[in-house]
Amino acid sequence: MSRRAALRDLGVRAAFMLAVYLAFAWRLPSYYSVNGIAALLDGAVLTGLVAAGIGATMLAGEFDLSVGSLAAVAGVIAIKLFGLGLVPAIVVATAASAAFGALQGLVIGVLGINSLVFTIGTLIGLRGVALIVAQQNTVTVPIDQLADTDAISLRLLGVFSPLSLILLAVLVLVGLFLGYTRWGREIYAIGGGRNEARAAGVPLLRPIVIAFTLSAGLAGLAGALLSMRSGSASPLGFDTVLLAAVTTCLIGGIALSGGRGNVLGIAVGLFTLRFFITGVASLGAPYWLQNLATGGLLILVIAVQLLPGLLRRAGTQPSAA
Amino acid sequence: MTTPVADAIRHLDAAAPTDARAVSRRRRIAIGAMLVAIAVLVGVAGATTPSFLTFDNLLVVIRNASITGIVALGMSFVTISGNLFALSAEELAILAACVFAWLMHAGFGLAPSLGATLLMTAAGGAVQGAIIAVGADPIITTLAFGALFRGLASLVTGNQNIELGSRAAVWIGTGRPLGVPTQSWAFILLTLAAWFALDRTRFGRQVVLTGANRAAAAASGLRVGQAALVGVTLLGIGCGLVGISAASQFGLAAANLFGGLDIDVVAAILVGGIALAGGQGSPIQAALGATFIALMQNFMLLHDLSTGVRMVVVGCLVAAATCAFHVMQQRRA
Repeated sequence: MSRRAALRDLGVRAAFMLAVYLAFAWRLPSYYSVNGIAALLDGAVLTGLVAAGIGATMLAGEFDLSVGSLAAVAGVIAIKLFGLGLVPAIVVATAASAAFGALQGLVIGVLGINSLVFTIGTLIGLRGVALIVAQQNTVTVPIDQLADTDAISLRLLGVFSPLSLILLAVLVLVGLFLGYTRWGREIYAIGGGRNEARAAGVPLLRPIVIAFTLSAGLAGLAGALLSMRSGSASPLGFDTVLLAAVTTCLIGGIALSGGRGNVLGIAVGLFTLRFFITGVASLGAPYWLQNLATGGLLILVIAVQLLPGLLRRAGTQPSAA
Repeated sequence: MTTPVADAIRHLDAAAPTDARAVSRRRRIAIGAMLVAIAVLVGVAGATTPSFLTFDNLLVVIRNASITGIVALGMSFVTISGNLFALSAEELAILAACVFAWLMHAGFGLAPSLGATLLMTAAGGAVQGAIIAVGADPIITTLAFGALFRGLASLVTGNQNIELGSRAAVWIGTGRPLGVPTQSWAFILLTLAAWFALDRTRFGRQVVLTGANRAAAAASGLRVGQAALVGVTLLGIGCGLVGISAASQFGLAAANLFGGLDIDVVAAILVGGIALAGGQGSPIQAALGATFIALMQNFMLLHDLSTGVRMVVVGCLVAAATCAFHVMQQRRA
């Protein structure tokens, strides 16, 4: 896609986001109050961090289904390590997740295995690990130390919190890394055309390991941060974040086939989804209806993406003899 | 430059004679290995676990193997046609159970409720199959439909248990003609039917060819979309049967039935040795894989292993089987 076409594509997606925003802002004053916007930003943190990670694997032409389970493991670890202090616990949980992701990327890259199928295995295995580490129960920060987690919910600069600032920083950093560094461009290269990239001398293993390290590390960070905010972590938590993150990436124009899309698109996809889901929730829908709405939206996105191909095929199909 | 058609003919010609032999050899090895593994597992479980070989426990194992197996049979068509997996099987079975319970509760009677539920699951499968057939990624598509089905199940039940309120369906869930549970009769008959459909019919050949080489199959005039469409529809009907039998067995349905069915079915396909690339394998392998997984789950349960440990074991099994078969495949190529 040329630069101009890519810009136009992003413009269309941003216009769609704006339309969703206006449709709900029409009826919900919280969409333009300071508190409402702060809540919208905070609500986007979990999906946004995870989407930035799996976006990287999608750009590489791979996929990581294990992010939800890994977020649960990281959440449990972070709460269990709360004695170390708020920040060290989050850092350790994130680093452990990233290390697991590097290992997973190494296996996938070295064996050249189908990552969609391999990560079904780690999706279920990591959920088991979360249950074992948490001993089947929700783990909580001790009541007398609960005040120490308040730092994470502070209000800064009007509408921001430490969480939403971390999200923005991650989006900017991942965007710069993918778009403007050699290692980031390698991820695009192997996703866009793996054989051509290999022929041109692009290493295959490094970008795959980096992409899976990013997706696991950011899922771990999201799990740790969100668990800290609530002061508790359930080993069965974060089971719907994968769906939301995939939807975010696809709305944002990250192609499942790899090599196409950017972090700006992910941000547009993220807020399109959040405007929609927050709106549905504000109108009184229970949590399971929100998941239904996300699933429905994803089906819609998949169908819309198929349309151009279908139309082209209908146009070139020779009439039956 | 060669034309696609010439390419396809060359592929089919080159592949046909040698591949057929290699494929049937691989299948014989996989089936033999599965039978040995099942025998060893039964032997070890029987020798080390006194409660394993009791009548009641065997009934549980056979019933669970049948439930996983019926869904795995449908899934084997999806995998063999080259479309990996559908991750919405558990959710569609849940939706079937809830819709069936709701219809029975509302007093529609047994036959209309059965018919409507099976029709609904066939349609649920067909819609997914149609979207996959025109080129969408099977795993991501079914992930989305899984969320939709689970949400609809919550919607139908109001997120509560819903009782059938009639004993007309009890036999479907708990009957044992000639001592064998109804689910197992269904499993055995469906295994034979699936084997026949894939190995002995035109449609079956079409599924295998589409999975083996999609481009070649399309160029030779096969309707490649049909394999995905019919495969996922068959899976949907399997999910419907399983959902109806569970609702009948317990006399109620809820949106949290069948924990882990998706994963057990994926594990059954992988352990059964069906090639992920498509074009190879038989529903018999899926059936044996499902039996093995059900035995293993039961064995771990009797040894009081926690849910977490059991999930780690199955997860490692899936990852290891993926790697092992991939490496074997590459060595042969």
